[in-house]
This record gives sequence, structure tokens and C-alpha cells, in this order.
Amino acid sequence: MSITRRHVLAGSAAGAASLAIGLVRPAIAASEPIRIGFLPALTGPSSSTGIAINRGTILAVEEINAAGGVNGRLLELITRDTQSDPTKAVNAATELTRRQHVHVVWGPLNSGEALAATPLIARDGVPQLDPCWVDTLTDVKKYPLAFRNAPTNHQIGGAANRYVLGVLKVKKVAVIGDTTGYGTASVETYVPMLSAAGATVVYHGETDASNPDLKPELLRMREAGAEAIMPWSVNAGFLSRIINTRGQMGWDVPIVGQTTLGSGQTKALLEKPEYWDKVYQNNFRSCSYDASGALPARTAAFVDRLQAAKIEMGDTLLWWIALGYDAPKLIAETVKAVGSAPDQIGRHWNSLKAWPGVYGDITWTPEQHNGYPDDEIVFCQASSSHGGAFKVAPGYGA
Amino acid sequence: MTDASAPSAAATRLAASGLPAKLEAAWPFLTLGVAGACLPLFGDTYWGVIAARACVYWVLVSGLNLVVGFAGQIAIGWVALLTLGAYTTSVLAAGTVTPPLSPYVALALAGAVGAVFGVIVGLPALRLRTFYFAMTTLGFATIVTQVALAWQSVTGGGIGVEGPVLPEPFSSTWGFYYFCLGLAGICTWMTANLAASRFGRALVAIRDAEVAAEAAGISKPRLLVAVFLFSGAVAAIAGGLFASLQSYITPDAFTFDLSVLFFIAILIGGRGSILGPLLGTIILTVLPEFAAPLVAWSTFLYAALLLIIVLALPGGIAALLDYKNRRPLKRNREIVPRPDLLAGVLARNAGVGALTLDGVALSFGGVHAIDGLDLEIRPGEVHGLIGPNGSGKTTTLNMISGYYAPQTGQVRLSGTTLPPRAPHLRAAHRIARTFQTPRLIGAASVLQNIMVGGTIDGRGMFVESLLALPRHRRDEAALRAAAMLALAAVGLEQLAPVRADRLQHGELRFMEIARALMLRPAFLLLDEPAAGLSAEEIRRLGALIVAISRRGTGVLLVEHHADLIFDICDRVTVLNLGKVLAAGTPAEIRSHREVVNAYLGA
Amino acid sequence: MLESIVSYGLAIGGVYALIGITYNVMFTASRVFSFTAGMLGMLGGVFGALFINRLGLPAGVGFIATLAAGAAIGVVTEAVTVRPVLKNLEQHLYVLSTLAFALLVQQFTAIEWSTEPQPFPRLLNIGESMVDQQFWLPVLACATTIVGLELLYRYTLVGRAFLAIAEDSYAARALGLPEQNLRIASYALAGVIGTLAGFAGGEMLLAFFANAPMLNFYGFVPVALGGMGSNRGAVIGGLALGLFQQAANFLVGGIFASVAVFTVFIIVLLARPEGLAGAAVTRRV
Repeated sequence: MSITRRHVLAGSAAGAASLAIGLVRPAIAASEPIRIGFLPALTGPSSSTGIAINRGTILAVEEINAAGGVNGRLLELITRDTQSDPTKAVNAATELTRRQHVHVVWGPLNSGEALAATPLIARDGVPQLDPCWVDTLTDVKKYPLAFRNAPTNHQIGGAANRYVLGVLKVKKVAVIGDTTGYGTASVETYVPMLSAAGATVVYHGETDASNPDLKPELLRMREAGAEAIMPWSVNAGFLSRIINTRGQMGWDVPIVGQTTLGSGQTKALLEKPEYWDKVYQNNFRSCSYDASGALPARTAAFVDRLQAAKIEMGDTLLWWIALGYDAPKLIAETVKAVGSAPDQIGRHWNSLKAWPGVYGDITWTPEQHNGYPDDEIVFCQASSSHGGAFKVAPGYGA
Repeated sequence: MTDASAPSAAATRLAASGLPAKLEAAWPFLTLGVAGACLPLFGDTYWGVIAARACVYWVLVSGLNLVVGFAGQIAIGWVALLTLGAYTTSVLAAGTVTPPLSPYVALALAGAVGAVFGVIVGLPALRLRTFYFAMTTLGFATIVTQVALAWQSVTGGGIGVEGPVLPEPFSSTWGFYYFCLGLAGICTWMTANLAASRFGRALVAIRDAEVAAEAAGISKPRLLVAVFLFSGAVAAIAGGLFASLQSYITPDAFTFDLSVLFFIAILIGGRGSILGPLLGTIILTVLPEFAAPLVAWSTFLYAALLLIIVLALPGGIAALLDYKNRRPLKRNREIVPRPDLLAGVLARNAGVGALTLDGVALSFGGVHAIDGLDLEIRPGEVHGLIGPNGSGKTTTLNMISGYYAPQTGQVRLSGTTLPPRAPHLRAAHRIARTFQTPRLIGAASVLQNIMVGGTIDGRGMFVESLLALPRHRRDEAALRAAAMLALAAVGLEQLAPVRADRLQHGELRFMEIARALMLRPAFLLLDEPAAGLSAEEIRRLGALIVAISRRGTGVLLVEHHADLIFDICDRVTVLNLGKVLAAGTPAEIRSHREVVNAYLGA
Repeated sequence: MLESIVSYGLAIGGVYALIGITYNVMFTASRVFSFTAGMLGMLGGVFGALFINRLGLPAGVGFIATLAAGAAIGVVTEAVTVRPVLKNLEQHLYVLSTLAFALLVQQFTAIEWSTEPQPFPRLLNIGESMVDQQFWLPVLACATTIVGLELLYRYTLVGRAFLAIAEDSYAARALGLPEQNLRIASYALAGVIGTLAGFAGGEMLLAFFANAPMLNFYGFVPVALGGMGSNRGAVIGGLALGLFQQAANFLVGGIFASVAVFTVFIIVLLARPEGLAGAAVTRRV
């Protein structure tokens, strides 16, 4: 086919048009909203975290947008409820990255879902903030744009072991998890850590979280001579049954474990309020009352803002809300500094130093995508619950 | 002028199976296939993932369709095989137990494992009633999930395991999609071939008319095992693809909701159809993606759809699409048998001895249903069996058919005792029968009903039908021709493509005879074939029966219509209270005093 | 350990037995195996928690309200899922219609009530630890139901009419018994028994939508093993199942216990398809 003048004219017109669009595009991009894909589990067995984090996230987005957004760009929060189902998480993550073309993915908030969704998000080259604790979720080589703004299982386990062995001075321990990805991974991680630290694990196993009767498991623990029970699960029903059964048995051993032990949802399922005594769950210094009963200044100011916005705290945990609040704030400040292109976000985060979040100061390096500091993890008394925050547990040193 | 020696030209056209007919059946699939292949042109990669998911689900549903839609077994817990296949493929490809295998090899091995477990999960269907079997499949689904949770060293327990990654060019979204589309297409082709084979018809016969299927020689256990093997294999392969799609599997991904999805897709699509469940699967996979709030309500919507279908449209989408069967039928139809065509239907029965009952007795509890009966049915004769209600006529017939075993005495053919309690073996002995209430497959066409009668004449194996190999095609052509001839012989060839449940009662009776004729029977047992027929129809029925017996078939005619009996029977036996009251020629019986007292009246 | 096995095992076994009786009542009235038995049990717990905890009604009133709601749902079940498919009983369409209905109710409960187990109120303040009322209430409910049904079937006209319909529905209709009304009443009765099971077991099982499929299965096992239609078989089977399950929980732990129950169930069923006390299949030709 020979090239006629018509072709040349048509071709130049097309070329000129695309050039113009290309020039215009950065301007359009500069004013398009910053899309944050959010993957909480708002329903289903592992929804207690999602519901709470959602409150903080929504507040942060509203605050930022009310102040005019970021360089004139508003934040657009695109939420997809994963229903605690990894299949739905995969579908939703794919929709967010490929259809909605989000700039950043915040979540998923449960390990089972994150295990499935993270490789797919990484494959699409979208930066991801993830707060799940299972260690394998960050990998600077496999998932270069995935960053964790919360502790890892290893960090939590280390703190738990230090409390049980160092403070309570207990030697024989029972470790129990539920059958989700998080529960199984936790038990698998913590048992060797405990043994290495010199404890004797007299019982370890996983139970279906919906099993109505945990008496057999606790009786087995008691028979094996356990001096402390360490449960790892985000399922309030499961944790409350452990607490209730211990109370029914009249077995006086401490329960030291997952943070959900202290949440309002667990409290609602307790048979007697006194069962909540001698339950110590991991929490964070930022959300704990110090000896004089005060929260750190940054957190106190945050609590004021929550109360002003009439956001409920007492039926859940404060640190979840704080964590949810920090994520959009971090994203907004990042975009303000370097824009919303993936590689720029990645580069900025790779050199983040002590970013001051309400929940904690986040630091990342190119070799370390787990950003939460070790010493912020503390153990607290569940029964001292007030407004979703707690008093630090007795005997817990600095 | 009509050709007196062959079915009418119109009827032959109706039964045509040439290229135009094949194209007509295939165009919906071809359209879907082309649309699927062109998806990248008008969809983004997100739709590629959703479409790949639909293809993966269809691979499983195509096999399950044979179990649920065709064989009628309520296998709700089939997600067990998806789980099994997913874990097998992932573990083999990841190399945690064995050295890492190529994903293709892993998929193939998963298919083999799935085949075996398909039989294990499905086997209770042969022993248990419908609901009980449904419960056992649910039990299996839970067992598999619990084992996946407990066997941490292999499956990773609650943490799960990575799914297999297919090598280039199937590792990209579209590449994987085309791989799944290809497999889905192959499964569609194979199951469609099977549906149009004697095995497909036999499955539907087992579902809707099990007793008639047995009488036609269909062995339920063998057929179901073959179906479970195939179904299990494709479900496991679908599991491997599912694991690849998810990129990571944990036990909590295999929910009861998923099982329900597969099952409902088949029911919405319509039982006994391939296209229906295919559309059902696509709809159920794609629907929740159109609106985010729908995702939470998806199972609710599936259940609502199922309820509506069951109550309002039991035939599902397939029934909606079946416009051919909504054309009104001609009223005032006449059944005009053509006994002259029987020469082509029946073979000359040479060297076959008589069918004899010697001193047979059978009691149900305290009731002596048959109390010492001697009966001889000779080839080429019409032997009538009459008597009051409760005298044991139908029980005799059922005993000859093999449903009951005599407690004393023997049922013999040419001197050899027939195996008791094995009704499906009678067909091989060329003993055919009809039933007191017509046993038909209402959802199938008249032609298909007739072709069921000749199932055991097929030579091709199950696999040959799956792949539409030459022997399968020869079987089909031969069966089709024989069925059309049988239909013409009984006078029903105009109704060949019509759904059997649209026929009038009289036509159903003749249809059963045509089905029985497919066995080229040495002996034909007729259970009250004249019940409900008009006088003219009874006359034609009589002429047909006589013509059948003149070709060498021995006919046992159980009847209440005394006129018919005395018109056409060569010999008559009268039963009363399980004993022979009298036996002889019609003339002798008609004047026999006791018979007149007990039964005939003056 | 033994006391715990016995007390919890008998209690949960009583719940299973009551669900089994629910299956039986629906079956004898209509020859239909209904997937809604477990759903009724689940609703017993949910309605109890709804009326007493959320709406603040006194326990007795909440109890009556729960049973009344159960009866209403039973009637709806019969009208929507059973009556329309009775004409084609051999096609087993009732399996699908009752399954669909049970799923609808279950999903609706999950979405509107909660996907998480909600607390069930403490009913009486009697007893503690092994003899706490949460353990003997289900057994009491079971015993009362059995005695009540015996009295009903033996000494009242309605009860004998139920038996007549179950025995031979054609003859019963020929005698002038109102088959349809009796069937509706049977389903209402089944609704009451099902919700009673869930209410009595609520303190153990909590108000949780996922109790429905669990009770469906574990409530069916006593019926399958004891013979469909036999209430005595259901009670013995239910209590035995509860004890076996608890013993397995203690000896081998949660996951293997459920595998053990399912395996035993399947094996027994394959060995005796009609159950250990059931009747043989009637003639089909």
C-alpha cells in the first residue's frame, strides 16, 4: 500500500493530537484524586480489626479532604469488604489495581487474605501498605513495593516471651491458636522462640474458632502442667471462650496473648466481668496509660479528635483506630512530597525515618520493610480497659 | 404416494443428523467461544481474571453436571474435589513433599487423584437414598478441609501453600485466561459428546426412569463409576487452576458457599443440558462483580434464584431456550402402526427355546402372591395371562423380569435358569417388557426414549464417546436408524423430536413397545398395554402384537381386556390367588366354568 | 474429665436429638427430607438473643415468642418449599427447595444479625460448673418433647390423625382427614421443636448463623442411624453422638474429632443404608 498525502496528513493529525494529550496529561493527572484502595474485612469471623481500622481511616480521609486535600488533589477512598474470605480478597484486589487504577493499596487487614492478595498486588506494581503480622508478607525482593506499618509476628512473639518468662517468671507454657492463617503461623513462630528462650511448651495446637467447647483443650493444658495460657487469634468468640472456660474451671493461671483479648467485642462475650482479671494482651506504648494514668500527648490529642467526631472507642481497641488513622496520613504526606507515581512512592518509603504516626514512629530502609519499632510493644491489663486503651501490665519494666 | 417400505420422508428429515442439525446445536457454543476468544479486545485484565475464574468453575461444573444434571445425584459437597485438586497440584508443583514437578504434570496427577476420589465420594450414591447421599458429600467436603488444616507438614495447615505458576506463555493474565478457556472448551466438547451418546441417555434414564433403564440392560453402578471418574478428574484439574488463579490457597478459601455455587449453577441452567449450566456458571460468577454491594449478598441471591427456578421453572434456562418444544402439536393425532416394517426391526429368532416357570412360589410376608405356578411361553406365540386383581399377574411379570426372586421353583430360558434379582441382565437375554404405568423420560424426546432401549447394542466405550471417536459415531447412526424404524413400526415417527411428556397416554403405551422392540426381543412381556386405549387403538395394538409374534417373538400379554385376549392369544393362562385356575386355548378358557365364575362373568 | 464428657456430651446430644426429631416430624407429615431443620435450630438461638437481649423482653416471654416465631417459619416452609413440589416427589425437588430456603434464611441472618456469634442470655441462675443449667436444659427439653409427642400421638385425636397421614396418606384422605391442614400443623410443630432445640442449647452454641449447617448435619446423623421416622432412634442416636463427639474431642482434639464423626457416619450408613432401626425399601415396580 503506497503512502498517500491523505495518510501523511492523517498521521500528522493523530501525532499532533497525541502530543497535545501527552502534554495535557500531567496537568490532568495533577488534579485527579488520589485513589486509595482499601481492603478491610468488615464482616465475617475476622472482622474486629477491619471494623476498627475503618473508623480511623475514614476519619483521616475526611480530615485531609476538609483541609483541601493534597496539593489540591482530594483523597478518594475505594473500599471493598473482603468478608474475611481470601477468594473475595483476590477478586477485590484485582479490581482495585486493574479497574480502579488505585495509587496505593491499604490492606488486606487479615493474614489469610493478605497471603493471597499481596503477590497479585506486587505483580501489578502498586505500592501497598499492610498491617498484618505474619512474617512472610514482606519480602524486599519478591514484593519491592510492599511495606508493613505494624510489627511482625517475630517482634510480638519476642515481647510476649519476654513478659511471660522475664516478668511473670513462668516456665511451662501452653500455646493455642485458631485454624486461620494467622493463628497457625503464630503458633508455628512462637513455639520455637519460646523453647529457644528456655521455656517448656507443654501444649501447643490449633482449634477451629467456631468450636463451642474449649473445655477439652484447657483440661489438657492443665493436665500437662501449664502455668500460663498464650492464645493467638483475632476471633473474639474464640478468645472469650478460652477466658470463660478458664473461669468456669476456676483455674488461676495468667492468659498472655493476642491483642484482641482486650477488645470490647471480647468483653461483650464474657460470662462474668471478673473473668477478665489476669488477662494480659499485647498493646502499644502509644495507646497505653502510664503510671499516672495519662496517654502520650500525641495520642491524647488524637482521642480528643475522635471524641469530637463522635467515634466509638470503648467497644474495640484504640490502637486499631490509630493504625487506621495513620495510613491515609502517611499516604497523603508521601504524595505531597513526591507525587503519586509508584516508583516515587517506593523510593520515598524506602528512606522513611521515624515518621511520627499516632500509633508509632515508622522507619523503613531498602533492606527492611517492617517499620514498627520493637520497644513500642508492651503488655497491658485487659481489665483496665478504658476507651479502648489500657494500663501497662504490672511488673512490666521499661 | 407414500413409500410402503420405509418411514416417510418427512420423518427421516425430522430425525436428520447431518451437518445442518449439528450446526444448529453447536452455534450457541461457537458464539460463546468466539466471544471468549475476543475478550481482550473489549475488556481489561480485571475482566480477564473474572473470565478465567468462570472458565475454571465451568471445568468443574461440566463434570459435576453429568453427576447432578444427568444422573440426578444430589452431590452438594463437590468442593471437596476442588480442594483436593488445588492442594495436590500446589504441593507437587512447590516441591514440599516430592521434588518440584512441572505444573502440567502436577495438574495431570491431580486429575488422576481426583478421579479416584471422585469414585470414593460418589460411591455412596449406589447404596443410599438421595438426601442421605447429599449429606455424605457434605461430610466429605468437611473432612477434606479438616485434613488440609491438620496435615501441616504437607499442606501448610492454616498458613496454606502457594499455588502453581504456569510457565510462559500462560503466566500472564491473558495467557492464563486462554489456557483456562481452552480447557473449558475441551470439557464442553467432551460432555456435549457424552450427552449425545448412549451413555448420556442412559444417565438420564437412570435419573428419571430407573426401572425402565434396568429393563433396557443399563447397569447403574458401572455407568455411575465411569461418570464419577471423569467428574472427579476434571474437578481436581479445576482445583489446580483455581490455586493458580488465587496464587495462594488456604483451607478457608474452600467454603460451603462455593459448593453451593456449583450446584446451583447446574440447577439454574437446567438438568440434562450442557448449554444451560454453562450459561448458569457464567452468570453466577460474573453477577456479583457488577456491583460491590452484591458481593455480600451473593449467596443469598444464588439461593433465591434456586428457589425461583425450582418453584417456577424446574427446567431452568435450558427449558427457556427450548423453543422447539413450545410449538403446538397437531390435535386429533392417530397412531397407525405399520407391522410390515417389523421385518427390519426384529431379527428372526432361531434356536431359542421356551421361557418356562416351574412350580414357582413367592410370598410377601404372610401373603402368598404366587402359590405354585407353571407357565410356558413359546417363541412365536402370544400367551395371555388374565385373572382378577391381586391374582399375581404383575408379580409374575416382575419375577420373570428379575425384580423378585422366586422362593421355590425356577424361571428358565431354553432350560437355563435366569439369575434372580438381576433385572438389568434380562436385556442381554433379549427379554424386553413394558410397564403397567408408562415409565418414560419426560424431559427427553420420544426418539431419545426409544434409543435408550437399544443402549446395550452399542459397542463404543465411555471414553470413545467422550472423544467422539468413529465407533461412537457408528453406534449413534445405527441406533438412530433402528429407533426411527421402530417408531415407524408402531406408528409414532411424526412425534420423534417431541418431548415425551407432551404425548397422550395412548401414544406413551405404543412408545414403550417401540422401546422394547429395540432389543429385538426373543420374548416380549406386556403389562396391561391396552389400559386407557380407545377401541380402535386396541384393535391396532392387537394387530401389532400378532405381527410381532409372527416374526418369532414369544409374547406374554397380561391384560384385563378380555376381548383383546380372546382375539389374539394362542394360549391363555388364568390366575387366581396366585394359582393357575385354568390354562388352554381361548375357546377352552372362555367356556371354563370356574373361570367364568371367578373372573369373566356370564 | 469424665464428668465434663458426660455433662457437655449429653447436653449437646440433647440438642442434636431434638433436631433429629424435627427432621422426623417433617418427614412423617410429607415424606420430605427437609434441609430446614438446622436452620430452625439456629433461629432458636438467634431469636432468643434478639428477644431477650436486644429487645429486653423477660426470659419467659422471649421463650414463648421464639417458639411462636418458629411455628410461623415452619408454616411458611411448608407453603413455599413443600406444597408446590409434592406432585413430583420422585424428582426430589424438595431437596432443592428446602435447601434454597434454608440458605436464604441463613444468609439473611448472617447479614442482618451478625456474622459473628452473639451472646445468648443466661436463662436461669441455677447450678454451676458441671450441673449448670446450660447443660441440663437441653436434656430437659428433649425429655419433655418426647413425652409430649407420645401423649399427643397416643391420646389426642390430632396426634392420631398425624400418625394416620404418616402411615397411609391415601387411606387417611379417603377417611376424610384434612391432609393439607394436618401437614401445615406438622410443620408448625416441627418449627416449635426446632427452635426449642436452639433456644435450649443457646448458652452453649450462642446466637450464630453458622450453627445452621452444623446442626443440619449433626442433627441428621441420629436420624440416619436411628431410622428416619423413629423418634426413639433419634434420641438414642443424638445422645450417643454427643457423647462420642465429646469423647473424641478430649482424646484426639477438635480437628480429628469431626473427621472421626463424619467417617463413622459414612461407614455406618454404607453398612446399613436404612439405619440401624429402619425399615427396608418398599416395592418400586
